[in-house]
Amino acid sequence: MDAKYLALAQMAVGGGLMGMAYALVAYGFQLTYAAGKAVNFGQGELVMLGAFAGISLSGIGLPYWATVLGAMVAGAALGWCIERVAVRLALQQRNEGWILLTIIVGLFSLSLVENIWGRDDRPYPTPWPAEALDFFGISVTWPELAIATGALGIMTLVELAKRYTMVGIAVQAVSADPDAAELCGIRSRSAISLSWMVSGVAAAFAGTVIGPVTTVGPTMAAALTLKAFSVAVVAGLDSGFGLVLAGIALGAAENLSGYVLGSGWREAPGLILLILALSLRPQGVFGKKIIRKV
Amino acid sequence: MSAGVTIALRENTSERLVRLALFLGLAILPALWQGQYALGLLTLMAVYGVLLIGLDATVGYLGQVNLAQAALFGLGAYGTALAVQAGASFPIAMLAGIVAALLPGAALALPALRLEGPQFALSTLSFATLSVIFLNESESITHGALGISIIRPSLFTVTLDARGFYWLCLVVLFLAWWASEILLKSRFGLSIEALRDSPTATDALGIGTLRHKALAFAWGSALAGLAGALHALNFGYLQPAAFGYDLMVMLLLGVVFGGRRSQWGAFAGAAVVAMLPNLLSNRTLFLSLVTCGFILTLLPAIRALISRRLPSFRDAAPAGAMSLALALALLAHNVEDWRKGIFALFLFAAVVGLPDGLAGAVAAALHRLLRFTPDPLPQAAGGITMSEEISRALPLRTVQLSKSFGGVRAVDNVSLEIGQGETLGLIGPNGSGKTTFVNLVSGLYAPDGGSVEIAGNRPLPGKLMSAFSAGAARTFQNLQPFSGLTALESILVCQRTGGKREAMGWLRAVGLEANARDRCSDMSYGDLRFLEIARALATGPRVLMLDEPAAGMSKQDIVRLVDLIASIKRAGIPILLIEHHQDVVAELCDRVAVMDGGRVIALGTSAEIRRDPKVIEAYLGADDEETDGSTEREAQIC
Repeated sequence: MDAKYLALAQMAVGGGLMGMAYALVAYGFQLTYAAGKAVNFGQGELVMLGAFAGISLSGIGLPYWATVLGAMVAGAALGWCIERVAVRLALQQRNEGWILLTIIVGLFSLSLVENIWGRDDRPYPTPWPAEALDFFGISVTWPELAIATGALGIMTLVELAKRYTMVGIAVQAVSADPDAAELCGIRSRSAISLSWMVSGVAAAFAGTVIGPVTTVGPTMAAALTLKAFSVAVVAGLDSGFGLVLAGIALGAAENLSGYVLGSGWREAPGLILLILALSLRPQGVFGKKIIRKV
Repeated sequence: MSAGVTIALRENTSERLVRLALFLGLAILPALWQGQYALGLLTLMAVYGVLLIGLDATVGYLGQVNLAQAALFGLGAYGTALAVQAGASFPIAMLAGIVAALLPGAALALPALRLEGPQFALSTLSFATLSVIFLNESESITHGALGISIIRPSLFTVTLDARGFYWLCLVVLFLAWWASEILLKSRFGLSIEALRDSPTATDALGIGTLRHKALAFAWGSALAGLAGALHALNFGYLQPAAFGYDLMVMLLLGVVFGGRRSQWGAFAGAAVVAMLPNLLSNRTLFLSLVTCGFILTLLPAIRALISRRLPSFRDAAPAGAMSLALALALLAHNVEDWRKGIFALFLFAAVVGLPDGLAGAVAAALHRLLRFTPDPLPQAAGGITMSEEISRALPLRTVQLSKSFGGVRAVDNVSLEIGQGETLGLIGPNGSGKTTFVNLVSGLYAPDGGSVEIAGNRPLPGKLMSAFSAGAARTFQNLQPFSGLTALESILVCQRTGGKREAMGWLRAVGLEANARDRCSDMSYGDLRFLEIARALATGPRVLMLDEPAAGMSKQDIVRLVDLIASIKRAGIPILLIEHHQDVVAELCDRVAVMDGGRVIALGTSAEIRRDPKVIEAYLGADDEETDGSTEREAQIC
């Protein structure tokens, strides 16, 4: 193959694999949006907190898999906290205050991270071999593979749990109609809490797989929130695996435009496509059309 | 609550007097609080004031989370800076700033304003990120991250010193405040509030959702550009990074903290955003402020304990946040490192403790203490009449109208006509397609097949506004009130002609004259149904569609309703009446159409319909085996 095309393909594959991480963070948006129509504008901060929790755990000598588990537990706790402290109240009052409250919680976590772990970027230690794998001339690193398998694994597990366990079906009932679910004896509040915890787990896990590829620092949060939110909204906030496609597309588009236009512009084409996609299909590319009822 | 002090002034007048005093105070403040530093803070506050008043147009009045304001502010600032570099004079440079924000704002508005909620927030966030990338990367124009420096040109012949520029900013803030108030309290502003509550109703009543959204967004963008221009001329040095995510979060939180839908709130938010970062540098002052805040937030929890109940989360959470802030103020090595965290804690306490913001809380407290002279209500005028122009065309004609949802044919080949002055009843079991039919005629849905003709016009399919222009007006089975408006204001935004007197006339016609000043959110269900009819009448319709007006009404209200519809009929306005109460239909309708399973199964006078075997079967079910499903419907006819 031509060297130039090979380089482009390399870029696209690397971006696509990173895009799976965006999809995983975006999946967190979907979970909380389904159960209670609220998304966490501080999701990027959750990813960051998860990654820092993992780094601290490996600092006390725990192996990689244990840091991942520890980060996921921390993520669940944080997700529960955000729901309890910020979102529940706003949802009770049925106003848009939740957007602001999640931004506020995110701002506070950012400040916390800056003061506990410092403002500098840090590496996330992993046991993966340093050499890359080679597929037909395209190299893929072990951490990148970890992102892809981890993201698909978590999403598949949660989706299966949603469909085939009693708790999962109850959560789906709550997302369809919380009041009706309550009348059938499901505690809507617990179901929403659970969704936020799972969303926190997904975000923290994303932190532990993104960390080794990029680095971990306070600046990662805002960028990740924007990218993951873009993926979630473009795919459609109710679209399940459409996320993965949208994530791969965004990641690849970013890397390619960075390569072609220069690194400063790497996010621009994705953003323009995003605005266009939204104006053509407000419900998302894979979303179901909303029928207004009066 | 308590009687309070009566004030012999109208609320508007008193507010204006206080505002004038505020600006006079601000103008002489530099004489008392001296120094370059203080002047800089005050100027920043005035600039942020203009910016936040603009942001409030979208975040407050439109009710959409707009994350583009910081970027528009930056574009305005760069527009002015580049104009100054090109040698433009002071006023031209200001104008360049406004244009530099307004044009991209308009470009964003086109796709973004069709979106709502998270989608709108995301599209504005993307725009903001794009703008900062553009400012950073177009190095040949903006010098990228290095930034751009300018020297303030003189205003005509006067060279403004720092104090003079502060006064100029105050004048601009005053004008922006005043213009926003006029704009947002006019019919235009009422329309914006109405569309926030129900965009479907505003389109169906011809108020025009998109147009008003676009104007509100444009106004916000123009003010962002104006503030950006002042900012560039104030600092003389710009960097793209200053207009990113951090500033945007601060601005958004400033508006919410101050209080949405209020210029006072925007100003209060601006003062906090400008002053707070600088308060942290003075530890004693900061500590005393936090202590005051902590004591204030304790009050709701204490009040709960006094009345012997456990404080709710809402009572206790602000105090919790403030106690954390107090702990940071006492223990942190360097408070300024915790700037974002402390800001977050303050905002958390404010958003949870004062959901309507500082301005909202103060206004509520004032309303409890003071009683103002209310605005006088005008004499009612006018009443129910048919619009003068007489058209020969049929008020409503549908030909083979069809609509499916998935596999369900909700409306199946329905052809109906309403003659001049005729009242057509549309009845049928639940789920037979009546409301879908009205939704097709009024343009909420586009039909799959067939056509609609309203008073001789063919509206565009699926366009509420187009059906409205053709002459259709409707009410809704599930109420669509403009919750934030009063009854009188609800009518005012719907009127095509006439003013307050005529609006009072419509309220009188439906018997709600006494409720003119009541907010829709406080009105009873039955009254809101009457208000919906008045709204539809006020648009001067050629055909009026009432979707189950008597649903959920009390017996007395139904009597009132029948009288009202009879008087509308006497005025010659053609009516399509969907109703479950058979006595109402029998009394009012010239002809009755019966729908079942999406089809019209019978059409005739009320007496004919009652004898029709197909109708009896649809409602009561037949004896034979073939119509199993209809036994379920039996229950619904009651």
